[in-house]
Amino acid sequence: MDKAIKVLVVDDEADFRQVMTVWLKSKGYLVITAPDGEHAIEAVKKEKPDIVFMDLRMPVMDGSDTIKKIRQFDKDTPIIIISAYLDDPKIKEVKTSYISGIFNKRDDFDKGLNLLECVLRTHKRFKDRTCK
Amino acid sequence: MFSLIVLYVVTIICSIVIALLLVYSANLSSKPKESADKDKVVPKYPKPAVLPNHDFRKMLYNEISEVVDSRSHCHKIAETVSDIFRRELEREVDYNNTKLSTKYEEVIKEKDASEQIAWKKYQKTLDDKKKTEAVIRSITEGLLVIDAKGKVVMMNPAAESLLDVSKKDKIGKSILEDIKETQLLSLFKSSRDKEGMAVELISQRDETKKILRASSAVIEDENGQTVGMVSVLNDITKQKELDQLKENFVANVSHELRTPLVAIEKSISLMIDGTTGKLLEEQAELLSIAKRNLKRLNFLINDLLELSKLEAGKTKLRREASSIEKIINEVIESLETWAKSKSLKIEKDIEEKLPELEIDPNRITQVLNNLLGNSIKFTPENGTILVKARLLQEKLEVEVSVRDTGIGISKENLSTVFDKFYQAGERVATDISGTGIGLSIAKEIVELHGGKIRAESEKGKGADFIFTLPVKPFNSLIN
Repeated sequence: MDKAIKVLVVDDEADFRQVMTVWLKSKGYLVITAPDGEHAIEAVKKEKPDIVFMDLRMPVMDGSDTIKKIRQFDKDTPIIIISAYLDDPKIKEVKTSYISGIFNKRDDFDKGLNLLECVLRTHKRFKDRTCK
Repeated sequence: MFSLIVLYVVTIICSIVIALLLVYSANLSSKPKESADKDKVVPKYPKPAVLPNHDFRKMLYNEISEVVDSRSHCHKIAETVSDIFRRELEREVDYNNTKLSTKYEEVIKEKDASEQIAWKKYQKTLDDKKKTEAVIRSITEGLLVIDAKGKVVMMNPAAESLLDVSKKDKIGKSILEDIKETQLLSLFKSSRDKEGMAVELISQRDETKKILRASSAVIEDENGQTVGMVSVLNDITKQKELDQLKENFVANVSHELRTPLVAIEKSISLMIDGTTGKLLEEQAELLSIAKRNLKRLNFLINDLLELSKLEAGKTKLRREASSIEKIINEVIESLETWAKSKSLKIEKDIEEKLPELEIDPNRITQVLNNLLGNSIKFTPENGTILVKARLLQEKLEVEVSVRDTGIGISKENLSTVFDKFYQAGERVATDISGTGIGLSIAKEIVELHGGKIRAESEKGKGADFIFTLPVKPFNSLIN
């Protein structure tokens, strides 16, 4: 890894943000966090993360609205949904917004890591190909 | 010879007199009824002093003189006959008078009695009416009766307030007039066609948001002609709100309960796997306890949410043609390690060539998991569990049973075994997966499939849980 990959974690639960931060940092990622949709949009603009973990259920602006807003100016950055349950009807709402995957909060971190790496690989390959 | 003639004459005259008498008395007896009705006091009929004594005697004399020569005889005969006649007439009149009076009194008595009965009946009807009206007035359901033309015949205060109309404005008028909510119109229009149908009405305006349920029935006369309709209106707004609340609760609780659990679980995991540094043996042990109990809490929450969803009718089955044998094998396979750890033997007795069932395989797996899991949990070491499947004789259902040699269930507890949080006596779970609602979930799932579940057991003699599944879902049978 030449340059650390920057991950943005968006979740209104401070404790969960911190757990994610500890985990991702331990795996060598650079982690930035945002507690809500507005801060997330700002962070995507300023910090230009390589990938985003986005919680769906957040007060004020929920994950699905935030993703739609982000997609207005950034169609490239992969976004992984984090959800506590897969039958959340909100997941349906975002499926049309170019999301790269869903990380079930209850799944093991290993599964999350696999997903993260897989998305990053696919994204890189896709990007490389289009650049050529 | 003379005396013979006299006798002859007298006989003729008597006949004439009696004839006249009869005619007269007949007239008398038919007359007095008119006045009898008018007065309660028994009238004394005036004796017919009208007897034309003088003229009558003269008439007699004339008649007699034609057959008798002697004038004195004529006088005598006429006088005698006239006296006889008068006496006879008086007697007859008296008799008739008495007879009529008695009859009149009887009639009056009868009339009085029937009047009293009628009055009592009237009072009773009035009382009954008052009682019925009081009942109708005080019931909380709205009661509305309309005639065949849709005009209001009766409505109680509850109906007034539910429909937001006033009774005095509505009686005799069409129910459809001046109803403020357009939905109400459709309610009455539609319920007139569908007999006994319950219609739900939802008002669109937020400030008067009201959901009414109307159960209506057509009123028919003895000839089967529709003469009107009676509707019972219920305000089910609160009930609907509660339903909605319950629904939202399930969704919210899923999030609210799981969020903190996830944070705890993930934190513990990171510590256990050494991400945060090496742990002392005791620390690792305590963290494992925390993780194990967290898992248990997770199971409980998931089961509870699952049951809430099932009970709220929010669970949809994904039916597909499935082999019950395959499901049984998979479930046994997944639980075999656990069974072996207790030295339990799992046996199978599955009938050959069972038809494929139109079921949700995941849900039935869940049912079998719960039943087999229970058996493993409650069967002491070296016991046996037998899973059986067979086609019932009517060939419309497949019966699956899980029988163990465990502690069993006492007869009095058999009926409550499918209740939520039931765990009889010693059946209090110390095991991680014991949430006490596994059987309730199994029951809901089996019933959702159109099947039935029951338990057979005797204390100390193991338990047998049996459920049936229709080969084809009920709907397709109809089709």
